[in-house]
Amino acid sequence: MHPKHVLDGFKILDLTQYLAGPTASRLLVEMGAEVIKVEIAPRGDSTRFLPYHKNNRSCYYVQQNRGKKSLCLDIRSEKGLNIIKDLIKQCDVLLENFSPGAMDRLGLSWAAVNAINPEIVMCSISAFGQEGPLSKLQGIDIIAQAYAGVTDMIGAKDGPPALPLLALGDVNTGVHAVAAINAALLNRTRTGKGQWLDISLLDCYYHAHEMNVHVISASDGAMMPKRSGAHHYAVSPLGAFKGAERYIMLMGSLHFWEPLCKLMDREDMITDPKFDTNDARVANANEVVEIIETWIQRHNDDEAVVEKLQGARIPSAPVLTVAETMAHPHMRERRTVRTIHDRLAGDFDIPGMPLRFSDYPEIMDLEAPFLGEHNAEILSTYLDMSAEQITALEAEGVLDSGDS
Amino acid sequence: MKPKHVMDGYRVLDLSQYLAGPAATNLMVQMGAEVIKVEGGPYGDPVRTFPFSNKERRSAYFIQQNRGKKSICLDLKSPEGIEIVKELIKHCDVLIQNFAPGVIERMGLGWDVVKEINPNIIMCAISAFGQEGPLAAHPGFDYIAQAYAAVTDLIGEPDKAPSMTMLAFGDVGTGVHALTAIGYALLERERDNNGGQYLDISLLDTYFHHHEVSIQAYSASKGKIVPRRNGSQHYAVAPTGIFKSKDGHLVILALLHQWPVLCRAMEREDMIEDPRFKDNEDRIENLPAMVAEIEKWLQAQDSDAAALAKLEKARVPVAPLLTVPQAMEHPHMIERKTIRTITDPLLGEFQIPGMPLRFSKYEVNEDIVAPTLGQHNEELLTTFLHYGAEKIAELKEQGVLFQKAV
Repeated sequence: MHPKHVLDGFKILDLTQYLAGPTASRLLVEMGAEVIKVEIAPRGDSTRFLPYHKNNRSCYYVQQNRGKKSLCLDIRSEKGLNIIKDLIKQCDVLLENFSPGAMDRLGLSWAAVNAINPEIVMCSISAFGQEGPLSKLQGIDIIAQAYAGVTDMIGAKDGPPALPLLALGDVNTGVHAVAAINAALLNRTRTGKGQWLDISLLDCYYHAHEMNVHVISASDGAMMPKRSGAHHYAVSPLGAFKGAERYIMLMGSLHFWEPLCKLMDREDMITDPKFDTNDARVANANEVVEIIETWIQRHNDDEAVVEKLQGARIPSAPVLTVAETMAHPHMRERRTVRTIHDRLAGDFDIPGMPLRFSDYPEIMDLEAPFLGEHNAEILSTYLDMSAEQITALEAEGVLDSGDS
Repeated sequence: MKPKHVMDGYRVLDLSQYLAGPAATNLMVQMGAEVIKVEGGPYGDPVRTFPFSNKERRSAYFIQQNRGKKSICLDLKSPEGIEIVKELIKHCDVLIQNFAPGVIERMGLGWDVVKEINPNIIMCAISAFGQEGPLAAHPGFDYIAQAYAAVTDLIGEPDKAPSMTMLAFGDVGTGVHALTAIGYALLERERDNNGGQYLDISLLDTYFHHHEVSIQAYSASKGKIVPRRNGSQHYAVAPTGIFKSKDGHLVILALLHQWPVLCRAMEREDMIEDPRFKDNEDRIENLPAMVAEIEKWLQAQDSDAAALAKLEKARVPVAPLLTVPQAMEHPHMIERKTIRTITDPLLGEFQIPGMPLRFSKYEVNEDIVAPTLGQHNEELLTTFLHYGAEKIAELKEQGVLFQKAV
C-alpha cells in the first residue's frame, strides 16, 4: 500500500522510455499515483542498459523508475496491443514518448484512445512536437537544445560551445508534461472529458529563454545575445569569478552594486561613470571582473570571501562540485539529496523530490521494478486474467520478464 | 470575455516578482486563470526596469512574463496595504510568493495566518534554497542556486572557468515545478474537498532535480565516477557532444545501438570493431581519438548541410548549432508557434517564446497584454472589496495605492 498522497487513486499507463517521459511518471508516482510502466519486450526500457551498473542493475534506470509497476509486453503483437487497449479503459492518464506517428501506426492515435476512454488524458512527449518540419527527426535532449538556440549561448566567447552535463531538457520537459497533465485532470473534474497534450523538448527549452528572444526582437537586433563564458553578456557583475582556489558565483548588479563596492572599499566605483550603471559596467566588463577577482584573491581564503559577501547580503555562492553538494549540510537537511535502497544495487544517492506538500511530508519508500515484475499482478488485477492465460501469453512471447 | 480554458474560474493572488514566481503565474494566465498581481509600491515588480525597454520605459522583460495579469500596486509596508491583501486572500484559490524566507511572516502573512483567513487556499512559497536549512537565509538568485546545485561546475572547459548558461533554466524551471505542485494540490482539493496546503518550492531543488546521471553515478560507484565539466563532450557517455565541422559545429549523439549506425553513416565500419571504440567505456577512455575521427569525417564533407543530411538519413541524432536569431527564424519554430509575435500597447510588436503547454481542447489565448503598474487598482478593489470611489481616492492620497503608465 502506498501512503496516502495527492494523487492516490489515479492510474497512469506509461508507455515512455529514456528520460523525459519517465521523469513525468516518476513525479506522479512520488505524488501517490499508480504507474503501470509498459516496457517493450524483450529488452524493456533502453535506460536499463545505461551506466552506472551495479550487480547488473542500472542506477540510471532505478533513479527514474522507482515505485512503478513493470509490464513487459510485445506491443506489436495483436494480443499485446489488446492488453494496452484494455488498460487504457481503466487509466486516467496515458503517457507516451515514441517518435511522432508511431502511436498512430500502432492504432493508438488520440482519436482511437479517446474512443476507447473519453475521460483519459493522453500526453505525447517528443523532441520537436507532433507536427512541423522537424517533427520526424531523431530527437534527444541535446539535439533539441541545439535547435532551440540554447547550446550556442553556452561556453567561452571565442571557443566551441560547452555542453551542460545534466539533462536540463528531458527533466524540465517531464515537469512541463506533469503540469499540463495536471491542468487537464483539473479541467476534467468539471468537464468530465479528457484531452490530448503535445509537449516537446524544443518548446520547453525555448520557454527558458527569459530574455534572449525578446531583446533581439524588441531591440530590432540592436541587442544580440551571445555566449560569453563565465560572465553574463548583459548583466554585470554576474558570473563565476576566480578565487584563490575555486570559482565564486557572484551577482553584484541591481541594488547589490552599492553594497559590493562598499565591501570592497571601493565607494568611488558607485559614482564612477565607468561603473555607475549596468550598461556602463557591461561596457567595461573586463575591468569590473579584474577588480572583483583581485579583491577576492587578495583574501587568499575563498570561504571567508563568500561569508563576507553573504554577510553583506550580496548574492554569492561557491561553485560547488557534485561531490561537494552531496556532502553539504543544507542538501542533506532538506533532502535535496537522498539515499535510496535498491534490492540489487544497494544503497546510493539520487536527487530529492522537488515538489513539497505540507499535507504529505513523508517521502515514500519506493523500489524500481525488475523487467516485467508486475506482469501477473497487473493482468489479473485489471484484466481479470487467470494464471493459465498469463502463462500462455508468456509462452507465446507476448509477455516477457527479466531478473533485474 | 476570455476564451474558456483549462483553469477558467481559478483565481490566483500573485505576490511574486522577478522571474520564478511570475513564470508560474504566466502559465496559469495562459491556461485561463485570473491572476491578481500584487506589486509593492511605488515601483512595483523590479523587472519593470529590466532591459530591453523603449523610451516610454516599457520593459519587454516584464511583458514576456506578465501578460494577462491584473496589477494592483500597494504599499505593502502599510497596515492598509496588508489589510487589502488579506481581503483578497479570501477570494483566491492560490497564493504565490517568492520573497526571501521569513519576509512574508514578518508582513503578517505567514501560512498560519493565511489558512486562517482562507482554509481552502493553496499557498506556494518559492525561494532560492527552500524555507529551511543552513542556506535558507542567503540572498538567492538563479545563478547562485545553480552554483550551489553543482550545475555551474559541470559546464565549460575542464581547466578553465565554468561557463554561464545565459538563460534562466533555474527560474523558469522552478516556476514550472511550482505550477505543477500548485495544480496537484488543487486537484486533490477538488477531489477530497479537504482544504488547501502549503508548498515549499526552491531553485536549489529544481536544479538538483535535473542531475539525471551525476548523483547516482558518483554515489553508486563510490566516487570512482567523478562528474566534471568536460567542454564540448560528455564525461560519461560517448559520443555525446559538440563536434567541429566543415562550417561550424554539429551536435551528435550516438549511444547504445546508434554507435554502429553512426560508423556506417560515416563509412567507417572499421570503427565498429575497433577495440578503442567498441563499448561506451572504451570510447570514454579514448575520447580524443574518437572525437578526432568524427571531426575528420565532418570536415571532409562538402558542407554541414551535407553532413547533416547524411546523418539524418541514417537516423543518427544530430543537430546544427542554431544561434538565437536562427532559431527565431526557423520554419519549425514559426509553424509550431514555439516563437510567437505579441503586441503590447506601449512597446508595440515583438517576439517571445511560445506557450509550452499545448491542450487539444483549447487554443492558446494570444489576446492578453501585460498590465501597467496598478492598472487594475480600482477594478479589483471595487469587485472584491466593494470599496467606493471615495475610499479608493483616499487610499491613493495616503500613498497606499500607486499607479503609473509603465
